[in-house]
Amino acid sequence: MEQFAQQLVNGLTLGGVYALIALGYTLIYGVLQLLNFAHGEVYMVGAFLGYFVMTGLGGPAAPVVPVWLMIVLMFLVAMIGSGLLGVAVEQFAYRPLRNSARIAPLISALGVSLFLQNAVLLLFGSQVRSYDTPRYWPATGAPELAGVRISPVRILVVALALVLMLALVQLVNRSRFGRGMRAVAFDRDAALMMGIDVNKVVVLVFFVASALAGAAGVMVGLVFFNVYSYMGFLAGLKGFTAAVVGGIGSIPGAMLGGFLIGLVESFTTVYISSNFASVLSFLVLILVMLVKPRGLLGKAAIVKV
Amino acid sequence: MRVIDTLIDGLVLSRSTSTTHLLIGLREEPGPRGRALPSPSFPTGEIMRAPSPVLVGLAATAVLALSGCAGGSTSETAAATASAGAGSAAAGSAGTGCSGALGVMAPITGGAASIGVEQLNFAKLAVEDFNAKNGTSFTTVEGDTQLDAGQASTVAQQFVSNSKVIGVVGPAGSQEVESVGQPFADAKMSFVSPSATKTSLSEGKYPTFARVIPTDAVQGPTDAAFIADELGAKKVLIVEEKTSYGAGLSDAMETALQAKGVEVTRQQVSQKQPDYSSIVSLVSDDTQVVFVTFQIAANSKALANQLQQQGKSAVVFGSDGSFSGDFDVPGQYVSSFAPDITGIAAAKPVADAYQAKYTGDFGTFGPPTYVAAQAVMTAASKECTGQADRARTSANLLQVQLPDSILGGPIAFTPTGDVQNAKFYIFKIGDDRKPALVP
Repeated sequence: MEQFAQQLVNGLTLGGVYALIALGYTLIYGVLQLLNFAHGEVYMVGAFLGYFVMTGLGGPAAPVVPVWLMIVLMFLVAMIGSGLLGVAVEQFAYRPLRNSARIAPLISALGVSLFLQNAVLLLFGSQVRSYDTPRYWPATGAPELAGVRISPVRILVVALALVLMLALVQLVNRSRFGRGMRAVAFDRDAALMMGIDVNKVVVLVFFVASALAGAAGVMVGLVFFNVYSYMGFLAGLKGFTAAVVGGIGSIPGAMLGGFLIGLVESFTTVYISSNFASVLSFLVLILVMLVKPRGLLGKAAIVKV
Repeated sequence: MRVIDTLIDGLVLSRSTSTTHLLIGLREEPGPRGRALPSPSFPTGEIMRAPSPVLVGLAATAVLALSGCAGGSTSETAAATASAGAGSAAAGSAGTGCSGALGVMAPITGGAASIGVEQLNFAKLAVEDFNAKNGTSFTTVEGDTQLDAGQASTVAQQFVSNSKVIGVVGPAGSQEVESVGQPFADAKMSFVSPSATKTSLSEGKYPTFARVIPTDAVQGPTDAAFIADELGAKKVLIVEEKTSYGAGLSDAMETALQAKGVEVTRQQVSQKQPDYSSIVSLVSDDTQVVFVTFQIAANSKALANQLQQQGKSAVVFGSDGSFSGDFDVPGQYVSSFAPDITGIAAAKPVADAYQAKYTGDFGTFGPPTYVAAQAVMTAASKECTGQADRARTSANLLQVQLPDSILGGPIAFTPTGDVQNAKFYIFKIGDDRKPALVP
C-alpha cells in the first residue's frame, strides 16, 4: 500500500509535467492544426531560464532573496521568457508558411527544434546542470500521507500544475481571448471575416502554450534537478504522446493523457521493470490509437466530401 | 475574466498599425461579440476540429523523423568538433627529433564534458612536457566523442584517415573502446585509454589497446570489500546504467558483494532518464547502500538528492564514472581508479603547471590521461628520428615502462595491455562537498 501511494505521488508529479507540455501541443494544434515539434525545446529553455534565475540570485548555497521569492521569480522569468520565445518561433518559422502545404510548417518545426537545441548547446555548453533544490528547500518536516513522505516541492509542482490547467480552461471558456481562440479554431476564415485579428490570436496561443512549457521546465528542475540541452527531446515526445492519447486538440484530453502517461511510467518502473517504463507509455499510445483513433477524449470529425 | 483580459492586453502588442486593437479587442469589433460560438464541446475545453487519421499518421512519422534527426545532429556535432584534419598544436616545435600527432578522444562536450575537458588539457600538457624534455615535436588532434559509441566510431575513422596521427589517447568510456577497437586494430593504431575499466576490453579482442588504470575486476572487489567490511552493509541496491560500462561493472559488483554475503538487488536505468523517484521508492528501509554505475556524475547527485527527499537513509556509492565535482552530496562515497595526485611528490610539478595554465581544480580523470599520452609518445619516439610510424608505435607500446609516473608508482603493461599492480581508491564526499580520500 505504501509503495502504491508512493508511486501515485511520483506518477502525479511526472504526469503534471507531461500534462503541461501536452497542453501546449494541444492548444497550438487546436488553433493552427500544426504539430509544434519545437515545443520540447521551449520547455528546455524554460528549465534553463529558471536555473539562471536561481544562480543569478546567489545560487543554491546562498540565495540573496527569500526562497519563496526566488522560486516565484524562477517561474515568472521562465514562463515569460518561454512565452516570448514561442511567439518569436511562430513569427519567424511558422507564420510565413501558414498558407503552405501542411508538411512545410512540420519540417520547419523540426528545424526550429534542432536549432534551439544546438543554440543552447553552443551558448551554455553541454554539461548537466543541477537545480540542487534540497540545498535551499530541504524535505525536512515533509508531511506523510499513507506512510509516504511527500516533499513540499512535489506538492507545489502538482498543485501548480492543476492551478495552471484550471486557469487555462477558464481562459479558453470565459475570456474574450478564449472566445477568439475558439472562433479561430472553428473556422479561421470566418473568424477573420468577423473582424477577429487571427494573427493576434495565434500569437497569444503560442505565448500561453510556451509559457506552460516554461513552467513545466522549472518544475522538472525543482523535482528532478538536472537540466541539459537535450532534455527537451524526450520530454517533448512524451508530451506529444500524452496529447495524442488524450485526443489532440482537447484540453481535458491533454490533462488526462499527461497524468495517464506519468502514472503508467511510475507504476511500470516499480511493478514491472524500469526497462519497460517508456515502452509501456508508447504501448498505451498504440493501444489507444487502435481502439479510439482520435484519442480518449477526442471528438469525431465531420468532413465535407 | 476581465483581469486575464487586461493582463493579455498588456502582454501582446500589435504588430500592424492598422490593427492596433488586440485579439480580445473583439469588444471593438462587430460580429461575434456576446454570441455563443457554435461548438457544443467548448465548455469542456474542446478547441479544435478532431484530427484526421492521416494527420495522426503524419505525426507519428514526424516523431520518427525527429528521433532520427536528433541522432543525426549529435553526430554532426561530433564530426564538426572532431577536427582531425585541423589538429590543434599543443606544443611548439620544441625539438627536431621525432614528430607526429597524438589523437585525443574524449567527451569534450556532452554530459561528461567536465571530465573530457580535463582529459584533453592533461593530454596537451603531457605533449608539451614530453616535447620539452625529449626534443620531439608531437602535436595533438582533438576528437570529441561525447561519451557515445557512435560518435567515437566517427572520430576513429577520422583519426585512421589522418596520416599524421600515430597513436591515440582515449577513448574514455568502455562502450567507446568497443566501437573503435576493430578499426584501430585494422589500422595498427595503438590507443591507450585513461579511464575505460571494463574487464573484457583487454582479453585480446583489441590487440592495439592498452590502459593505464585498473579494471572493474579490481574495482568490484575493492568497492565490495569497503561496502561490506567498512560500511557494514547487508543489503545493497545496484542501479545499473544501461551502457556497456554499467553492465560490466554491475556484474562485477554483484559477484563481489555476494561473495561477501551481501544481499544484492539490481535495477536498470537509462543515461537520459530524468526521474529516479520510482527507482528510489524501491530502496527498502534496510538497504544501506545504493551502488550506481553512472557515467554522468550529475545523475548520481540527482539520485542521492531524491533518496534524501524521500527520507531514505541509504547512502549512494558511485563508481569511477561518478568521480566529478558534479557529484557533491555530503556523506556519499565514490571510487576512483587514480589517486588524488596533489599529495604525490613526483606529480607536484605537473599539478602546479596544470593549475597555472588551466586555472582550476582537477579530479582523477586528467592525470591518467597525462600518463597515457606519455606512454604513446614514449612508444612512438623509440628509434624514431622523423615522422613516427603507427605500426612501430603499436609494436613498442606494451614494452613501455614509466618508472616514476605521476600516479604515484611505476607504469608497466601486462601482455594484454593492462597496467600492472594498479588499484582503486575510495573517497567520501565531505561537508565541504569535495571528495576526501578514505584512508
